[in-house]
Amino acid sequence: MSGILLELKDICKSYRDGSEERVILDGVSLAVGKGEFAAIVGPSGSGKSTFLSVAGLLLTPDSGSVLIGGKDVTGASKGERTMIRRRQLGFIFQSHNLLPYLKTADQLAIVQEKPMREKVSVDELLSELDIADCRDKFPAKMSGGEKQRAAIARAFVNDPDVILADEPTASLDAQRGRLAVEMIRNEVKKRNKAAVMVTHDNRVLDLVDSVYRIDGGKLLKERFE
Amino acid sequence: MKYAWKEILYGRKKYILIELLLILLMFMVLFLSGLASGLGRAVSSAIDTMNADSFIVDDSAEQLITVSSVGTQVLDELRSAGANAAPLDIQRMYIIKDGDDEKLNMTYFAIEAGSFIEPETIEGTGLAASSADNPILLDDDYKLEGISLGDKVRDSSTDIEFTVVGFVDDRMYGHTSVGYITTDSYTRLRKALNPMYVQSYHAIAVRGSADYDFAGNGLELVSKHEIIENIPSYSAEHLTITMIVWVLVIISAVIIGIFNYILTLQKQKQFGVMKAVGMRNSELAGMVISEVLIISVFAAAVSLVLTFAMAAAIPEKMPFYLEAPDAVAVTAAFVAISVPSSMLSVVNISRIDPVKAIGGGEE
Ligand SMILES: Nc1ncnc2c1ncn2[C@@H]1O[C@H](COP(=O)(O)OP(=O)(O)O)[C@@H](O)[C@H]1O
Ligand SMILES: [Mg+2]
Repeated sequence: MSGILLELKDICKSYRDGSEERVILDGVSLAVGKGEFAAIVGPSGSGKSTFLSVAGLLLTPDSGSVLIGGKDVTGASKGERTMIRRRQLGFIFQSHNLLPYLKTADQLAIVQEKPMREKVSVDELLSELDIADCRDKFPAKMSGGEKQRAAIARAFVNDPDVILADEPTASLDAQRGRLAVEMIRNEVKKRNKAAVMVTHDNRVLDLVDSVYRIDGGKLLKERFE
Repeated sequence: MKYAWKEILYGRKKYILIELLLILLMFMVLFLSGLASGLGRAVSSAIDTMNADSFIVDDSAEQLITVSSVGTQVLDELRSAGANAAPLDIQRMYIIKDGDDEKLNMTYFAIEAGSFIEPETIEGTGLAASSADNPILLDDDYKLEGISLGDKVRDSSTDIEFTVVGFVDDRMYGHTSVGYITTDSYTRLRKALNPMYVQSYHAIAVRGSADYDFAGNGLELVSKHEIIENIPSYSAEHLTITMIVWVLVIISAVIIGIFNYILTLQKQKQFGVMKAVGMRNSELAGMVISEVLIISVFAAAVSLVLTFAMAAAIPEKMPFYLEAPDAVAVTAAFVAISVPSSMLSVVNISRIDPVKAIGGGEE
């Protein structure tokens, strides 16, 4: 499969809890292609965030490999991982995590790599996410939905291969949460990215292409179109 | 730099407080530094500005001119050997203004009229050009006592009368203003005090080199710099204040570092997120250092302006003397030291694990 942008193979990850070893991910594999929006669901504490951290090169798995844009990055150095996160991955967190002292346009500009300025227009992203009027606003002056959409825009600003979202609707009400997921979907489709969203909000699952369930350390495909 | 500036503007309330603290500290530093050189000059300016390179004193005088004694023949021998030498006596006394009975402090510098160590006058004539029996050149501080050109002043212990023939600028020794008299007047003065007085000099000022067997004659040749350092109270005052100045400079710079570190500790989550989205440690360190630089440069600039504004308003008699290069050196050192003081924050940031950004809110 040539269109695979994110691939995790046989990932194992366990945490040492006192004297005992708790296996969180027990041989987990996942492949997400261009233009595909995948969701991962599962009960709290099942390892969704852990999985996303491994995919996002924030956590090293005990075994298995991570491929981004078709390239094996499992053994990448700390500096290389930082670079890959900056250029090939886009993160959307549970809460917006914007910098309080920057206006929306600057939130995007501070993480945008210089060569990307030509390729990805900050203003275009903001209009697509319907927050063009927040361009010169500080986070304190924006609603929760607007802030999360600014964070979504930030994830796309370096034209990444893969978007990783950890419960992006958690801090929003149902209506705004759905709107945010719709917007992630629109951008993923329009820009032909691979996206993985961790969620426990079943009401937005109709917006994704595939659904995986994580439980007991295993990842099971629940639905695929 | 741009984003650091935006952060400061956004949080200006808290930054203004730290700026105020730093400006006050730096103002104190500059003020003390001006006082240090002012006091230093009050002790030494008459020697410092003297047109001589070194001084011959006797080797038991511990490089202090006022307790030294050099025979008159030494001067003759030096001169016949072609050295540029001139006699100097320094004597602390009191003078009384004619028609007044208030004693004024005075340090006589007794010199040969017209010798190379005679200062340029800013008003009046030199000692040699005067026909008065006992001419005297006064530091212009005495003008503040109401003494003017042509006035007569009396030596309080001998009643010898001097005629003020000129004024000189900024000549002090051991916290008193100096009056320049001739060696002849000085000899008369000493003879009036002690009829058995046999003439000798306290010291001989030398310009250029002097070829002489100093050690063999119980003498030593001492540089101007060493003479100044050995004036009683010079080192004690100057070094103490200079040390306080530098300790304060370092303290101010460290305060910026600590303030910045506290801010960094409050922003662990922000830095974690920035690292998660791929911002390099070098970019984050750059932001922290720019922030510190902006804070310190601003404090330095404002305190410089304040100090020079105050220096212009300060009364003439106060021993305050701050030269722009010294002030700039002190503030530049402050700015320079503030950078390493922010390293604590930089190290802290480099240790933040970005994995904390994911699954946020749980911890
Ligand atoms: N750094 C860690 N050290 C030890 N245990 C951890 C650590 N991070 C997560 N865990 C544990 O791993 C399990 C999975 O956590 P997580 O991936 O955050 O689950 P989810 O996101 O599905 O709620 C939880 O039981 C959690 O307590
Ligand atoms: Mg989680």
